[in-house]
Amino acid sequence: MSSMNLFALFFTLAIIQNFIVAQFLGLCPFFGVTKKLKDAVSMAAALSFVMISSAMITWFLTYYVLTPFNVLFMSTVVYILVIATFVQIVEMFIRRTNLTLYNALGIFLPLITVHCAVLGISVINVREGFSFIQAVVAAFGGAVGVVILMAIMAGIRERLDIANVPTNFRGLPIAIFVAAMLGLAFFGFGGIV
Amino acid sequence: MLVPILVITAIGLVCGVAIYICYVFIPTRVKGIDETLNLAGLLPGRNCGACGYPGCFGYAQALIGKPELIKNFACALSINDTERIAKIGEALGLSIDAAPKKALPHCGGNSEEVYNYSGVNSCRGAAQLLSGNRKCPFACLGLGDCVAVCPEGAISIDPEKKVAVVDWTKCTGCGLCAKECLIGILELVSDKTKIGHTCMYFPLRNIPGRERCELGCTHCMRCFRACESGAIIWNKEKGIPEFDESKCILCLKCIEECPTKCIEVVTLEKVPEKATA
Repeated sequence: MSSMNLFALFFTLAIIQNFIVAQFLGLCPFFGVTKKLKDAVSMAAALSFVMISSAMITWFLTYYVLTPFNVLFMSTVVYILVIATFVQIVEMFIRRTNLTLYNALGIFLPLITVHCAVLGISVINVREGFSFIQAVVAAFGGAVGVVILMAIMAGIRERLDIANVPTNFRGLPIAIFVAAMLGLAFFGFGGIV
Repeated sequence: MLVPILVITAIGLVCGVAIYICYVFIPTRVKGIDETLNLAGLLPGRNCGACGYPGCFGYAQALIGKPELIKNFACALSINDTERIAKIGEALGLSIDAAPKKALPHCGGNSEEVYNYSGVNSCRGAAQLLSGNRKCPFACLGLGDCVAVCPEGAISIDPEKKVAVVDWTKCTGCGLCAKECLIGILELVSDKTKIGHTCMYFPLRNIPGRERCELGCTHCMRCFRACESGAIIWNKEKGIPEFDESKCILCLKCIEECPTKCIEVVTLEKVPEKATA
């Protein structure tokens, strides 16, 4: 992936290699917070913010701390530690400075501290050997993909609430069916790039 | 072996210190956050949403900006708790005069069904087809939108009559059901209300073929004339009686006089034995 131009990289991460339906990362908020469109978009927005900023932080950490000291094998532990710290500080900052933003994103931030899509983008960036710009674009693409998927899923689930679903499939089961169909739909983009 | 341990420890220490520094040095720039948190603590904390704000914290925030809002909706769940209401008033610098309220359904549920509704089990669904499956345009559809919305479980649907029944011992008067009912049958009334009118039918919105039921108000005004203590006020616009609970002595003459028995005792107080009987 590191040889792609930036737009192709963005499109790949956002649609083709979508975090949720193609890489199966971040499934918990995908099912947990998509009952209402507003909540889903708030959650996805908070997630995008954390993904992009933590991709930057972990990129610097990887190439300026972990590689020189030859401790790359501990990267997962370090990423978790650093991302959690970062999210805590951001949450504290938002709570003390901007109440409106805190109401919109605040309750979702602690949920994201150890979110797998956030950790995933950091690991992918290292695995694929991205440059800094590429890492940021990849994180942005991944975040956009998550927002799109969460919004689509929330819209469908809001509609499902008033649909006449067979009793056994109400709630989570029908949501998993929907997710499967969304996954199939998104695989239709495969091979474009 | 030693280098990784030292590096990881150093990173952990840096993270910990960073959190501490931020905790100490990020200034509180939002005005009134302490007051808001304090006020949110005084509110019931049930996050029922009856006030129309997202949870008690949201309501507290709105109240800080506009203290008059408490007059529109003095948080019902704490209404029985006069001490707490006084504290909220003190925090806002207002004196709150909030009489406790209860929800009262204005339908006896006798109206016949005009078609067999089998769609989504919700009044909203039924109301989209010929404005409901009951003959009377002011009849309770009995599909339980109010039951679903009640945070206290105080409303039930009478299985025979298919009409909402409010248990006043559980009702906190939050008004969620009154907002939810699209027919407008549920009304918030003072909890001292003694007599209730169980019909909303009034002819101003008469739809041909959609008449009142046998137990509906005929607008005969007999209750008005029967009342000796002047507790009934005749609502000329709607042509239905309204009751003044401060004057009502629970003589029940209006109920005796009513030809269709659409007036009933709703108070939780014990009805006094008739002195004249």
